[in-house]
Amino acid sequence: MAWQPAAPAQHIPAYSAVPARTTLERPPLGSYAAALSRPSPTDPSQNPPPTAAAPRKVSWSDSVKSYVRRAFDPDNAMPDISAADMKIKLKEIISYHAERNLQDEVDWATHPLPQQIIAGEREAAARAALAAQPNSPAPAYGKSIGPTFSPGSKRKSLDADELQAAASVPPWRKANLESRVTFGDGQNKRQKKSDFTKETISKLNQLDLEKRKQRFQANQNDTTPPWRSDRDSDSEMSTAPVVGTNQSLEKSYFRLTSQPKPETVRPLHVLEKTLDLLRKKWRQEKNYNYICNQFKSLRQDLTVQHIKNAFTVRVYENHARIALEKGDLGEYNQCQTQLKALYGLGLGGHPGEFLAYRILYFVYTCNKTDMNDVLAELTPTDKALPEVKHALEVRSSLALGNYHKFFRLYLDAPNMGGYLMDMFVERERLNALSNISKAYHHVFVRFLTNELGFENDEECLQFLRDHGAQHLIEEKETDNGPKMRVRVKEAMALFDQLRAAAFSKVDLKGQI
Amino acid sequence: MQAALEPFRLAHAQQQAFTVAEFLSPIPPPNNPARLYEFHRASNFQTVEQDIRNALRYGGYRLNQKESVAWPGILVSYWKAIHSLLRAEEARNQGTLGARDLVEVYDAWKELTNHFLRHTSNGALPPWTLVCMYRTANYLRIFAAQADAQLAKSKESVTFDSGLQDDIATPAPRSEKLEETARIFNRIFALCLNDRNPDMSQSRKWGTYYMANLQFKTYFKLKNVSLSKNIVRSINAQSDLPSFEAFPAAHRVTYNYYVGVLAFLQEDYNKAEEHLTEAWNLCLPESLGNQERILTYLIPTRLITAQTIPTPLLLSSYPRLQKIFGPLVTCIKRGDLHGFDTALAAAEDALVRRRIYLTLERGRDLTLRNLLRKVFLAAGYEELKEGQTERDRIRKSRIPLSWFAAALRMSSGAGGEGLNLEDEEIECLIANQIYKGMMKGYISREHSMVVLNKKGAFPGTGV
Repeated sequence: MAWQPAAPAQHIPAYSAVPARTTLERPPLGSYAAALSRPSPTDPSQNPPPTAAAPRKVSWSDSVKSYVRRAFDPDNAMPDISAADMKIKLKEIISYHAERNLQDEVDWATHPLPQQIIAGEREAAARAALAAQPNSPAPAYGKSIGPTFSPGSKRKSLDADELQAAASVPPWRKANLESRVTFGDGQNKRQKKSDFTKETISKLNQLDLEKRKQRFQANQNDTTPPWRSDRDSDSEMSTAPVVGTNQSLEKSYFRLTSQPKPETVRPLHVLEKTLDLLRKKWRQEKNYNYICNQFKSLRQDLTVQHIKNAFTVRVYENHARIALEKGDLGEYNQCQTQLKALYGLGLGGHPGEFLAYRILYFVYTCNKTDMNDVLAELTPTDKALPEVKHALEVRSSLALGNYHKFFRLYLDAPNMGGYLMDMFVERERLNALSNISKAYHHVFVRFLTNELGFENDEECLQFLRDHGAQHLIEEKETDNGPKMRVRVKEAMALFDQLRAAAFSKVDLKGQI
Repeated sequence: MQAALEPFRLAHAQQQAFTVAEFLSPIPPPNNPARLYEFHRASNFQTVEQDIRNALRYGGYRLNQKESVAWPGILVSYWKAIHSLLRAEEARNQGTLGARDLVEVYDAWKELTNHFLRHTSNGALPPWTLVCMYRTANYLRIFAAQADAQLAKSKESVTFDSGLQDDIATPAPRSEKLEETARIFNRIFALCLNDRNPDMSQSRKWGTYYMANLQFKTYFKLKNVSLSKNIVRSINAQSDLPSFEAFPAAHRVTYNYYVGVLAFLQEDYNKAEEHLTEAWNLCLPESLGNQERILTYLIPTRLITAQTIPTPLLLSSYPRLQKIFGPLVTCIKRGDLHGFDTALAAAEDALVRRRIYLTLERGRDLTLRNLLRKVFLAAGYEELKEGQTERDRIRKSRIPLSWFAAALRMSSGAGGEGLNLEDEEIECLIANQIYKGMMKGYISREHSMVVLNKKGAFPGTGV
């Protein structure tokens, strides 16, 4: 149910346009304004295809052509480098520059030939392999890693205009390029792996290092303050806070695999607006998948900027409540863990409310160890809070099998406790039925309705029917006319079985 | 130095493992409180290595090639550990003890432990030194805990952010030294458990349970109880261990205790009872502390498995247990629900800390059972029928719900709590008793009666 958009199709949010953001260009001023006005994707003017998608005819200059000729010249061929390898490399070099509109920046007459670059790479790889792992086949990773630069090639930092232009390459090239360029978001696993390889194996590989630097510079734009320009040139992970510069209100969540770029991170004042927007959207659209994704990126932005204040608490509380409402306990649990730590810092918020949820949550998971830990941390002040008191009574009523009290508490849950209790109310109904079926021979439906917290008799009957007790419901003449009665005793085995099954599958998404 | 090492030389020559272990202890023997100082004074930080090497070379030791490499390392690291230990003690006396001092002690002792580990695993040390190794390991645990405690004082308990986390808070490694210790123990444990020496008299397998116990203690302290299960599992999987009964009683008591507690925490009360009882039976009569530990879990376990409560006589020998269990036990016996709730609330902190609160809470069922039983007894007997005598008359088995309700209301506290009890709730509680098999019979709503089983309405209580 969570996957079905609650709203009609034209309300599909603008976040679907996110692939364009992976080029790391600043969004044109209009684009987030457009995002604000929530364009419908059916409107082509408001839903621009990624700029990169527009194919462009590239005309090759004479110098490039002569470079190609030089590469194919038999005089320049190297004995241990096949023509095929050379061609691939050549293609790579030229398209690399073409994609960035750099073909005029390079002195093609003196640019190292593909075969020379390959030779250099192999040598370096061999050296690195020797240093790291004497037995590994040396050239294994020569190819897979990124665009090639000779050690002598001129390093250039690109300005925003160039980046705009760089984005305008044919889509089939672009996909290829993306897979080779490190993005701040680093969304693919392959990328992570190649970074890892680099860190461990080829620390000594000057060539690779050079290439890394080039790539990082290619990714930077003028919004990066100069004192940060070298930040990523070493492989060490900095944990210093990022200062975000991104102005978009919406942003899709990606798991970070490297230090994020400031231009992809939104500063606090933007995030505050984001939260308001998300709350409004949640009320209007109830699209949980979208909201959850947005909240995750919001949390991520807070984390990388080391923002921990009352606002942080608000974000987590809001996300936790929404997750509760949708019964996404995995996500809820993550928020709950964070909130516990944040409350520990005394940043305000609603510690009592969430403490009560925590207790109910452990009732649901039947986690006796965690429950014990929670009880151990309770202070007398906590225990006096009405919602905490309620949660504790829920716990003890279930521990003592007092289903009567439990369902009273269920109907009277403060805040969003009811949502949490919804998660285990069916289980407890079966538990109580199992109990009743041992202690009574038959009971009236009205009694079950009252004792098991059903809204009305019909709901109760439906529940019984759903659980295969249809044949036990009968009509019984009484002094006050006929009444529905259930021969519970005969269902002893049935309810026992259902109860055991219900308790055996406390299955939690996202639980460790 | 040679004089300082003389006790070691004698013990080593006669292969007296316990004396050597005693020599390498960080605690001076009671009859010679200055021993550590004297040993420390025999050398200094600059020359200790040379001193010990010379002492071993020219002191008339009979060391083979490998041993003559191992022992200097061990003794030097021991001397250095004592050096740090005395420095820390000095700092403590001057009130300047900091985390750094204790970390230094820990590091030095870790060095010593690692020497043992290394030289045992490469076979440089004779088999009898196993005792020295695991004794040394035990002290490492203590030093690690001390260092962590001191470190915790100087640190926040939660650190924020680390690079790529999506979320803001990550729990800080609060017990980093003890965690490291756990890893070292793991290696020693594996070294013991997996020894392939077919000659059992020389096997390291004899250290298995001692090391397992050290790991239990460490994991419990680290609040990482679940890791303990792996140890039990790997021991159970090892088929060629000597029989459990052949191990020293001390190892067996502790092992049984921990396996029992683990089962208790997993709510496997039958298994818990079995192991805790075995630990209880093996425990020395004078080890009151250990007995108290065992009873802390055995009493709640027996409450569940056998519905029995400890006698006042048993509790009277253990003041601490008397304090936390005494009032509860009295109330259970009397069927005093209000008293039970009050006593449970009063002892809550102590019980939660020992992780027995949630189990003892179920003692309320027993209290209720005793109360209902009293009502049943008070209801008296059926009229004598023809041919019946006083001896075989039958108790009344149809008891109005209202009688039970009155008893429950009285017992739950004549004040607010009791009177607020609804009839349905009382029915529910009685239904529970029937469901749990503490009471035999059924409730008839039409007649507002509880119809009890004529034979054994309250199983196990004689009626």
